Amino acid sequence: MSPLSRRGFLAASAAGGTALATALSGCSSSSSTPPGTTTIKHWDWYVSQEPWLKNEIQLFQKAHPKIRIKRTVQVSDRYPDLINLAFRGGEAPDMLMIPSSPKFEEQVADGWLRPLDGFATPQWRGRFPAGNFFNGVDMVENKVYSAPFGGNAPWLQLYIHNGLFKQAGITNPDGSARLPRTWDDVTAAAEAITSKSGGRSYGLGFGNVPNVSLPWWVELFVRGAGSPAGYGVDGLDYRVGKWTFGSDRNYADFLELLLEWKKKGYIYPSSMSIGDEQARAFFERGKFGMIVGGVWNQTTWTQHHFTDYSLTTLPSPTATPKAFFYYPPGGRVWALSQHSKVSDAAWQWFDWLHGPAAGQRWVEAGQGLSIFPEANQRARINSQAFRAFVDLRKYAMPWPVPAIRNPDVSKVVVPAVTPDLPDVLTGLYTGQLKDMGAALSDLEDRRNKALADGVKEARAKGAKVSLSDWVFTDWDPTRPYQNKPA
Amino acid sequence: MQLLDTATPKPPTDGLGAAHRAAPPKNGRWRRLVAGRLSYLYLAPLMVLLLLFVVYPIFGSLAYTFYRWNGIGSPGDFVGLDNFRQIAHDSIFWRAVSHTFVYSIVVVPVQLAIALVLALVLNDRKLRFSAFYRTLFFLPVVTSPAVVGVVVQLMLSNFGDTLNGWLLDAHLIGRPVDWLGNPRIALGIIIVVGIWQTLGYNLVYFLAGLQTIPEEVYEAAKIDGAGHVRTFVNITVPLLRPVGLMIVILAFIGSFQVFDLVQVLTGGGPYFGTEVVNTYIYHLAFGGNQAAATEPNVGLASAASFFYGLLLIGFSVLQVLIFRSLAKRRAAGRA
Repeated sequence: MSPLSRRGFLAASAAGGTALATALSGCSSSSSTPPGTTTIKHWDWYVSQEPWLKNEIQLFQKAHPKIRIKRTVQVSDRYPDLINLAFRGGEAPDMLMIPSSPKFEEQVADGWLRPLDGFATPQWRGRFPAGNFFNGVDMVENKVYSAPFGGNAPWLQLYIHNGLFKQAGITNPDGSARLPRTWDDVTAAAEAITSKSGGRSYGLGFGNVPNVSLPWWVELFVRGAGSPAGYGVDGLDYRVGKWTFGSDRNYADFLELLLEWKKKGYIYPSSMSIGDEQARAFFERGKFGMIVGGVWNQTTWTQHHFTDYSLTTLPSPTATPKAFFYYPPGGRVWALSQHSKVSDAAWQWFDWLHGPAAGQRWVEAGQGLSIFPEANQRARINSQAFRAFVDLRKYAMPWPVPAIRNPDVSKVVVPAVTPDLPDVLTGLYTGQLKDMGAALSDLEDRRNKALADGVKEARAKGAKVSLSDWVFTDWDPTRPYQNKPA
Repeated sequence: MQLLDTATPKPPTDGLGAAHRAAPPKNGRWRRLVAGRLSYLYLAPLMVLLLLFVVYPIFGSLAYTFYRWNGIGSPGDFVGLDNFRQIAHDSIFWRAVSHTFVYSIVVVPVQLAIALVLALVLNDRKLRFSAFYRTLFFLPVVTSPAVVGVVVQLMLSNFGDTLNGWLLDAHLIGRPVDWLGNPRIALGIIIVVGIWQTLGYNLVYFLAGLQTIPEEVYEAAKIDGAGHVRTFVNITVPLLRPVGLMIVILAFIGSFQVFDLVQVLTGGGPYFGTEVVNTYIYHLAFGGNQAAATEPNVGLASAASFFYGLLLIGFSVLQVLIFRSLAKRRAAGRA
């Protein structure tokens, strides 16, 4: 056997590399696409919703044999960066989930999103319930850029582990687990589960990595107590046009209760070391009896064939919630890229996802509610837990949207504050922040100053806005708000 | 005339000619360049990469420090030196600096001490399977810190309860510990993992240094009746010092750059309790580490990078000055 010379080795490597490249390119989806087929690049961050989306892609491709969808799932918390890079690098997808950052209006101004006016005719828009297209929501300067997709229900629920509740004796006369309605009920249940499990289980648990779950607990509990802004990232208390973390007593009251639960050992001790996915798994295994989360929890548990749980929402100091969950009319999830060279095909995919049939399948898959009321029929839902979620719709209603009353509000960029509420909550929970009142008041002041600074800057650039644009004295948080365009 | 002729410089005898003499620096440089062309050719790719990915970004991002910019489009919101002012007054930045220094001050000495001891053991020719042990100790280095972080995070989150149970049973703790939820413990875990993960580098450096010490010196010491400790103090340490100083400098530089381990293990939390400067900069540039996406500020992140760079330059200069002063003192002592 002759030894391989350096030149021979290089030649062999080059040949091997070419062969490998050819083989790999043979594996790509593009080579398997029949000629004359249009390929749509689609980006989203759906994980638990993936089965539904994959099914939709299959159905769509079957109905449109000349269109192929090349889907890319991105990491949700890095999605804004990745989309930004894609647009900068000229590699933007044709159809995209709208990133949370930068602001929707900025995405339009930067030429990312395509106005849908050529496609989304008044007749097309008529398929949606009335009052769903507004500037500042799915429109910018009277042009449609997106469309509503999901229906609205409380986005957070309190899930209880039926088995642990029963073991602790927290049951109804018929032997079923008794749902806690008040803050005291939650405390009593947590105490009973912790003490009666002999150290094997805890009453409450969450996965706060990275700073996700504690704000959910605050949101769920203070809304029930009558604080309509909740966690307040997207909105403030529109009755006064301010954030009220320090001046609204409910925040401190709930946080004191939370720290009391921690002190008494009712909370799963590693809650600050784990993420929400792990917390969900530990809840399923009976490590703790109560967890706060969204309807997405149900999808994971269904996949694991875990059904021994119940849910409620808005536990409050008294049995009657004093504030609810709120949402803007309309909505936006998907959009088309301004740079797409296959807009017609991309629009067909957009139209498909925003159709009543896809909405119906979304509900049937237990992913959430649809914008189409007829898709949300209780009778069509198999899962008992999902039916319970659908029944919570009465606790969600429209709230004021400043940008509908004054579109110039969209020009205000409110600078981020650090530390923000999730950080402050973590600081209080871990004992790094000792003075709760001072920490909450400081946060309230910084948030309100940031809004004032944003308004000042927008005014300097010509926007006709003032802080009063965020004040809605006519808003009653217990009733749906009728937004009136300017 | 004769005298003058005598004083006239003689033609060069090195065969390079008068022209060479007339402009020695320029031609000298050119000749040296030509003579070393092969070396420069080999250096060129690295230089190009260095210029492209190190020098250019440094000066490129300097301009961003004067803008408030979220990284989209072109920077247009000029804020002058406000970003630097904001960084200098940000308590979270200074907390991150202090965590970085605590990490470095603990990791470097502990790690170097362990690495030196292990290197001395592995350098023993009587030790069997030393190559195996060397590979074993070097393995963590070739494992990505991100992977190490994920594994440790999963271990603590999945087996933290079991560990708590053991410690409670042994009455070592009074109540269960939230391993990554307690800032002090979390920083301690990061430090321990950091020591373990990069120990192999310093072990190999020390081994290389030890192998440069001539065996004859040890033999001479042995003949003179020096024991193990005396040999270590009077032979190994002085002869290892030049390599050791370089190892110390590299270890500090490496530990000041800690990022991926912290980002994966704790994300800088809880409540900035383990935030180091590089995770701080990352969070500024890419929009925070919280539930809500916050607007990134590339300008502020660039200012923080520059500010930290200046701090590190200051620290490096101080380190060099200290080493020089120590060397001078030693030289004076010997004299």
